[in-house]
Amino acid sequence: MRYVDEYRDAELGRALAGEILATVEPGRHYKVMEVCGGHTHSIYKYGIDDLLPANVELVHGPGCPVCVIPMGRVDDAIALAEQPGVIFTCFGDMMRVPGSERTLLDAKASGADVRMVYSPLDALRIAKANPERDVIFYAIGFETTAPSTALTLKRARAEGVTNFLCMCNHVTIVPPLRALLESPDLRLDGFVGPGHVCTVVGARPLGFIPAQYGRPVVVSGFEPLDILQSIHMILKQIAEGRCEVENQYKRVVPQEGNLRALEVMAEVFAVRPHFEWRGLGFISQSGLRLSDAYADFDAEVRYSVPGVRVADPKACQCGEVLKGVIKPWECKVFGTACTPEHAIGTCMVSPEGACAAYYNYGRFAREREVV
Amino acid sequence: MPPAEPLAPVGAECALDHCITCSDEAVPMRVVAIDADRGLALCETAEGTRSSVEIALVDAGVGDEVLVHAGVALQRVGALA
Repeated sequence: MRYVDEYRDAELGRALAGEILATVEPGRHYKVMEVCGGHTHSIYKYGIDDLLPANVELVHGPGCPVCVIPMGRVDDAIALAEQPGVIFTCFGDMMRVPGSERTLLDAKASGADVRMVYSPLDALRIAKANPERDVIFYAIGFETTAPSTALTLKRARAEGVTNFLCMCNHVTIVPPLRALLESPDLRLDGFVGPGHVCTVVGARPLGFIPAQYGRPVVVSGFEPLDILQSIHMILKQIAEGRCEVENQYKRVVPQEGNLRALEVMAEVFAVRPHFEWRGLGFISQSGLRLSDAYADFDAEVRYSVPGVRVADPKACQCGEVLKGVIKPWECKVFGTACTPEHAIGTCMVSPEGACAAYYNYGRFAREREVV
Repeated sequence: MPPAEPLAPVGAECALDHCITCSDEAVPMRVVAIDADRGLALCETAEGTRSSVEIALVDAGVGDEVLVHAGVALQRVGALA
């Protein structure tokens, strides 16, 4: 397939690995964060870390939307799902995310009508087929899924569907990155930028990273060669003493983003003053709620939710994993008490979570061999 | 100690390659037909899976390749190349 096969060429990959090796300064340690879970997943799937010199370390960022949902929000979702008459719809992975006591899957087992959907549009279809019941969509995700939720809400309004509601947990990428850069226990040398978030918001919003924190950013695609090339571009910036936002993923990421998507989001969403992130705590202006114009569609307005803040389980170190302070296998419960089948932490639930990516692709190796 | 059994991939309800809950992985699809009245397009993956996709956010015609995330086309692939 065009735009796929040519980005998985093994020869080119080896050549890029050679160029990376030639770019790094021996004896210097480089820490590069891939912000997004999609990158983490590709890195382990294709064994990209094995192609890198030993002194280039990849740190996994907070960009898996499942992994960052705090337990209190899961409890809220379960409370909504258990309202009489409600059909609760969500993406498959969210059903397995543990709340303080149960998952949505457990709620379903005890009688709640929880259904898996592939898109908010599917949830709207369910609402139209069940006009006598309220259908709530559990909206999660960064700027890549937010336009989808926004368009569906606009469609619901245009079609006069009043039993379609949304529990909005959408988050934005810039505030958690800023929080990470402010975090004292983390030293990073550069960022592999979130390619698909940037198809929506553009490359420009990441400009604060070089401008205010002096770190290079390369917006990257998701195929193995995309990621290798982006890592090379970051290391090259460091070697040449440059520091800017570069766009490796030009085939889909325009500088200004998708203006139509941003417009729809601005109409349907409003920024929350603060939102809790698993392991990262409250981050100001990092979450979205439905705008006042769409309050009629807000599940948290029509139904009351407990809204209780629940501390993360003590054994779970998702927060440190999300900040890249520890590797997944350094967590006390990794692969023992916490597995994808019975996850304690969210990072083990989604295939994009750093822990699940390590677990699924058998990457238990604690020391890499030098290539 | 005997070598560990190979681990089976989990998360069967969503293909590991393109998980729907991912923040940042979109599925490349080709536009097969457009239903302008409903603002939806019928799109097809390389493997031949077809689904309806919202295309209000992109300028795409039949035969174009688009990146689809959660049922919405976010960009036309190669539009900027």
